[in-house]
Amino acid sequence: MSDQRKIVYVAHPASGLARSNFPLVCHVDDGKIVRSQPFFIPEDVRLYEIKTSRGVFTRPRKDVQMPLAYAWKRRVHSNRVKYPLLRNDWSPDNPNPGKRGTSGYSRISWDRALDIIVAQMKSIREKYGSMEPVLVQADGHGQSGYMQSLHFWGHYLFDRVNDRLGWGWWTQQVRNPDSWEGYYWGAKHVWGFESTLGEPQQDAVWDDVLEHTEMVIFSGNDPEATGLGMSGSIALEMVKWLKRAGIKIVAISPDLNYAAAVHADKWIPLKPNTDSALYLALVHVWLVEGLYDKEYVRTHTVGFEEFRKHVMGEDGSVAKTPAWAEAITGIPARTIKALAREWAGKKTSLSVYFGGPKIRGALSHMAARLEAYVLAMQGIGSPGRQFLRTGAPSFYKNSLAQVPRYPDVDKSGIAMNHMIEYAIGKGPKSPVFIPRTLATEAILLPSIEWRGTSAALAKTEDQFQKYRFPPSPDHPGIRMVWNENGSQPGSWGNGWKWLEALRSPQIEFVLGIHPWMENDIPFSDLILPAQTNFEHEDLIAVQRTDLLSMFYQDQAIEPVGESKSDYEIHRMIGQRLGLDEVFPPVDDWLKKAFEGTLASTKLGITWEEFKQKKSVIYDCPTWEEWLDIKKEFGLGAHDGGLHNFWSEAGGLDTPSGKIEFVSSRIAEQDADNLERPPLAKWMTHSEVQGSKKAKDYPLSVMSNHPRFRFHVQGDDIDWIREISKVRGPDGYLYEPCWIHPSDALPRGIANGDVIRIHNERGAVLVGAVVTERIIPSALGIEHGARMDLAMLEGKLIDRGGCINLIAPSLMEKYGPGEEIKVPEMNVSGFLVEAVKIDVAAIVAGTGLGYGSTVSGH
Amino acid sequence: MGKKFLIDVDKCSGCKLCIIACKDEHVGSSYAPWSRPQPDTGHFWMDVQPIERGRTPRVRMSYLPLLCQHCANAPCIKSCPDDAIRTRDDGLVWIDPAACTGCGLCQDACPYDVIFINDEQGIAQKCTGCAHRVDEGLLPRCVEVCPHEAIVFGDETDVAGGEAYHPEYLAEPRVLWKGLPKPWIAGSITDFHSDELISGVAVTAVDLFADGSVTVLSDDFGDFWLRGLEKDRKYRVEIRKKGYEAFHAIVTTADDQDLGNVLLKSVQ
Repeated sequence: MSDQRKIVYVAHPASGLARSNFPLVCHVDDGKIVRSQPFFIPEDVRLYEIKTSRGVFTRPRKDVQMPLAYAWKRRVHSNRVKYPLLRNDWSPDNPNPGKRGTSGYSRISWDRALDIIVAQMKSIREKYGSMEPVLVQADGHGQSGYMQSLHFWGHYLFDRVNDRLGWGWWTQQVRNPDSWEGYYWGAKHVWGFESTLGEPQQDAVWDDVLEHTEMVIFSGNDPEATGLGMSGSIALEMVKWLKRAGIKIVAISPDLNYAAAVHADKWIPLKPNTDSALYLALVHVWLVEGLYDKEYVRTHTVGFEEFRKHVMGEDGSVAKTPAWAEAITGIPARTIKALAREWAGKKTSLSVYFGGPKIRGALSHMAARLEAYVLAMQGIGSPGRQFLRTGAPSFYKNSLAQVPRYPDVDKSGIAMNHMIEYAIGKGPKSPVFIPRTLATEAILLPSIEWRGTSAALAKTEDQFQKYRFPPSPDHPGIRMVWNENGSQPGSWGNGWKWLEALRSPQIEFVLGIHPWMENDIPFSDLILPAQTNFEHEDLIAVQRTDLLSMFYQDQAIEPVGESKSDYEIHRMIGQRLGLDEVFPPVDDWLKKAFEGTLASTKLGITWEEFKQKKSVIYDCPTWEEWLDIKKEFGLGAHDGGLHNFWSEAGGLDTPSGKIEFVSSRIAEQDADNLERPPLAKWMTHSEVQGSKKAKDYPLSVMSNHPRFRFHVQGDDIDWIREISKVRGPDGYLYEPCWIHPSDALPRGIANGDVIRIHNERGAVLVGAVVTERIIPSALGIEHGARMDLAMLEGKLIDRGGCINLIAPSLMEKYGPGEEIKVPEMNVSGFLVEAVKIDVAAIVAGTGLGYGSTVSGH
Repeated sequence: MGKKFLIDVDKCSGCKLCIIACKDEHVGSSYAPWSRPQPDTGHFWMDVQPIERGRTPRVRMSYLPLLCQHCANAPCIKSCPDDAIRTRDDGLVWIDPAACTGCGLCQDACPYDVIFINDEQGIAQKCTGCAHRVDEGLLPRCVEVCPHEAIVFGDETDVAGGEAYHPEYLAEPRVLWKGLPKPWIAGSITDFHSDELISGVAVTAVDLFADGSVTVLSDDFGDFWLRGLEKDRKYRVEIRKKGYEAFHAIVTTADDQDLGNVLLKSVQ
């Protein structure tokens, strides 16, 4: 090996929130990343074994990440922001807000860039008296590492500007529960689980499932897409465990997703956002046929009788029969009946992961509550009947991990970066804040009101608190945007309006901090060049897979252009403001974090030794040790999940300590909330088929997390594009859109055609994939495609197929000025129409967003 | 020792990690004498071919991870006017980039369509079996990365089983396959009067032109899947249950066939 060659561990680029998977093993030669390979767990690390009567289950030593990770090196030199860039027609006196997205940029020096930022901050303070007019967006949805490429430094900086300089609070954009919203806004009111985001804890759940479970419902769960992306190949391994244990997999989803297409024993397609109706009809069958755990319902739940009456139509509503649900869901009544009997007759667990179509649409809080009711009627927590995540980040637990791990390793095995509290916290740090779902409206509307901070670990009662922005009538609102993500228009709803908000005359300054020129970054006035994970050293805290470990990330290559790490960028800004001391050298910070872990305190590894050694992977307990550990928590060998609730019939985070069909909290504190009544029901609304609007827009878009991207990340990578897109007749690679033959045929749409997906909010172009893998009347379009704005028939459209551009605003349900009672996300299951277009009519390169030319590069 | 690939179609989930790993290994990297750099895009020395099967809601995907079949009786070798395509001692077939003129005859000759032309370098290129890694005792990248062990590589004495993909090409490939898709006849069975799905119904497919029949029972959702049938045959499908009128259909397995929702009438 020559001196120029080295092997470097690099954090999975889609890590997020300072927590990672196993790293990429990168071969670097002469300053270039030659290859990125999977990590193999060394033989001397003891793996766990789950011993059951159906076999012994463990994980392979090979750990593989999603394809995107191994293609990430392609982004190092492509599409990069290399230098600080200033928009040509921006000046402090005349920001030309309407030109954002259309004008070019010029390279400026770091000195000048920092001068401008500090001057803008001072100007805000002078004009408005505090930093409150600055909207800081950072929340971890971009490329991320442990510290250097972490998207919380904006919040940290402004927190210090407040407490050290006394310049006042900033407007904190609070990350909403963006892939589990239904559990957060809904299921919490049924069963609590505040500390695990509204989902039941996963303690030792596999011990139970692999021993007892006979059937698992995949409710939109896709281990082959989201699971692999978030947790690495352990998500795939867990599906293999299910198969090997002889457990039947039934997938319920509008689409035959990637996992269902190869692993499921049965696919039950339903129309987007109609899961609530299905659950009600299952209950109807169970009530009529007596197929539920009556004793459990009596001892473990409250409010069942009101629910029973509602389902049977004894409260004046229609009876929720399978035939009633067939009309709504598109599932034949006979299939609903068969599912109900199977579910009751077999020990059935329900499996989800982040996202899935059920949980990301309007009123997903109803679906999640009804799901909890259904699970309660079948005795959740009893052997084999659990709520199961296939691949669990370590925070989904009460005391014990999903798989055998030492509790002390869970507690202090790996370093935790406290910055994540800005994204996963009990509440916003700044008293001035908006949920991320309302960022657009906070700029465009004079005032908005809503309930609930949307902070991940907020107390359930917080959901009844009323908040408003601006906080007072004489408040200046938002005047400056600090954008560290570049993901708003592709990951959240109502994207076209967000672009409009960025161009609002009220916004004096937009700062973009990002490695790439993409999505809403070219709507900034000043863009600072951030680095990729290859360009700096960092700690890698592996916590999103089944084993806990830490790696030291060496700098793989020289920084591209004048790029700096996110940390360094904020440190430099802080330095200008006299805040040097709160930005210590990176190595000091990492050393301190490392020294708080077991690697240091128990194994005695010094920081310097760790940097040489590069990794610490904690052993797992033997099965016998694990059994002893479980005993301390009152669990037998094959007890897990909600076993203790099952055996104790109490102790949940609900006022009654039991599962509440009728939420006593809602009944007492939010009784006037018609959108979220104390008892969850099927509720129709404007974005559901059958509504008035559906006459013009008869198709429902179902939008999942992408298989080959990570949210909006990586859609510019040539290798990813050529394996994931549809090549149009013009050679352009369009975002795929799944459409059933019965919808394609009457519209004259064939495979590979370019189609316009539109509604009253605008239009995007996609490439047709005519397939049997989607229920008729729905379209499948993954979120996060890279925006590429163009003109079609005189109208601005997105040729890139970024579907969230035309997803609804939360305001649409109520209208401006009215209070938003549940600030949930609504990015799947909304109405559109699809029309085949002539690609010759597309006028590309029309300016907005991508007409931005950069001089001086 | 001769080498062998074994591909199990039933295990492949279509994740395409093998494609990316192949590009990661070969784009921008030269491994003399076996290969020169693969172009940035457009070449798929390893490809994953999706096959959508069935009709809503009885749909499955099969994926064929397709690479050079490293044939012992390789049509490409015979087609090359410059003897640039050779077989190593371990059986891996490679195109010598120093000898190849990029004439493209091999591309036309290959029945598996796995040879690509590199216009920039004026040569034909394809999977080398990661010969440079094999020589170091390492696995080909596609094999190394596969999370499902759908692609296995090893000494031919260790890697058991498998059949040729398209044996009619008579190319004697060193890539052997398990689980190559065979047509199914599927459907679900419902009681005409009660509209209830019926489980445990015997469904038999009788090959009309050869001996043999297959029988399955409908499952708890009333679904039946007669799997592993021969392609382009005529079958008589018989659905019988005591108390019901029998159902017969003649089905040609040009492809996977779905009979939809079969209604059984009870005997009066």
